[in-house]
Amino acid sequence: MAEMLGYIWHYVYTSFLRYWLKWLIRQATGKCELQRICSGYQQGAARTTKAEHSLRSSKNKVLRGALESSKDKLEQSVDQIIKEKRVQPQKDPMFKDCLHICLLQITGYSGLYISVEDLRKEVFSSENAKHEAMLLKLWDLLMPTVKLESRITKQWGDIGFQGDDPKTDFRGMGMLGLINLVFFSENYTEEARQVLSHANHPKLGYSYAIVGINLTEMAYSLLKSGALKPHFYNTVQSAPELWHFHQLYCYLAYEFDKFWVEEEPESIMQFNQYREKFHNLVQTHLQDPDVSLTLTVHSKN
Amino acid sequence: MGLLSILRKLKSTPDQEVRILLLGLDNGGKTTLLKQLASEDISHITPTQGFNIKSVQSQGFKLNVWDIGGQRKIRPYWRNYFENTDVLIYVIDSADRKRFEETGQELAELLDEEKLSGVPVLIFANKQDLLTAAPASEIAEGLNLHTIRDRMWQIQSCSALTGEGIQEGMNWVCKSVNSKKK
Repeated sequence: MAEMLGYIWHYVYTSFLRYWLKWLIRQATGKCELQRICSGYQQGAARTTKAEHSLRSSKNKVLRGALESSKDKLEQSVDQIIKEKRVQPQKDPMFKDCLHICLLQITGYSGLYISVEDLRKEVFSSENAKHEAMLLKLWDLLMPTVKLESRITKQWGDIGFQGDDPKTDFRGMGMLGLINLVFFSENYTEEARQVLSHANHPKLGYSYAIVGINLTEMAYSLLKSGALKPHFYNTVQSAPELWHFHQLYCYLAYEFDKFWVEEEPESIMQFNQYREKFHNLVQTHLQDPDVSLTLTVHSKN
Repeated sequence: MGLLSILRKLKSTPDQEVRILLLGLDNGGKTTLLKQLASEDISHITPTQGFNIKSVQSQGFKLNVWDIGGQRKIRPYWRNYFENTDVLIYVIDSADRKRFEETGQELAELLDEEKLSGVPVLIFANKQDLLTAAPASEIAEGLNLHTIRDRMWQIQSCSALTGEGIQEGMNWVCKSVNSKKK
């Protein structure tokens, strides 16, 4: 019964009340909801999340349509919204830039997911010279003093692949998994080697590369579900790009290792249990409106 | 459905639990098979570090399926999961001919394990969707399956990717549990 009343209330609210309430406030303050969001909240997740919600639940096609517009048409969308909502720029000079940034962040997040998904779907192929070069680069970055004896070798196990040819380990993450591994090793070389040395610990160890691919899956799923929105809204004041996603992977790879070493699991067989625990920890961080999952060590760039 | 059969259904005992162990070399398709059994998305699978477990209802059984990573480094841990196993499912990548010898050796060692003695074994000749896959008959011959005398065994060709052959294999699993309990 209570549930039923909840549904009715929700229906009444979203279809009538919300509209009239907004109209009343608009008359009183002289500002539309988007203006109030822009002036009332600091730049970041608090503001952008509210703006996204406001646009998505709008009855106006122009406002909802702005969420789907491409990057080069965004300014046009902003002008249309200003016209539609009869905002007077001279009275609210900050509004235009503010809304523009919010829209860059919102549409950029969807765009980022598409780019990430494309890389994930790109299957690692031994016939592709670029793929092969990247794999060998990973070895050189992690094992600068050891020469790889041949392309197919048990040595791959030393950086945590399963067998003597890494190509079968990328699986559902495709090139996204390899690119993340290389990005971490290239931009945080010292940290990556430190993590690898923990992973190669005889008792507390784990398989560096395949755990890395597993953490790529974690990053990917968080992105897909929308859970990473507050992180990107807080840390990128524009449209997030691929390298922002790789940065997030670096955070996960570094922090997971720290977590694993601190927890001292009995053996590698407990991996999924601790992965779940770590995942919950990340999810909790993402509930914080000020969240910023940034690896705080000195990167090379 | 009549009233009587509904009453009978309500009264019926909870599903009998069956412990199934899923083993095989890395990249054989164990996790894909597990996810297919549980009707889950199979497009984001990554190599198994440690193990996965899922429970599936089938033909009045509650199948607790343990999917253990196949990487050489963690094969020594397989034995920790042998106890109380009702059925062993061994998964082979039928297209990975270079490793037929290795997979045969691992299987032979499993069949020698005391804790697995008499446990029925189903061999899934997986990846039949690939053109290069060896047929189940060829694999059975290569592994000398016909010399197995101490337990029920079956080889079933399948594709964990498309789902083909899996139901047939699982039917055999349930049948072998039934005949073992009698």
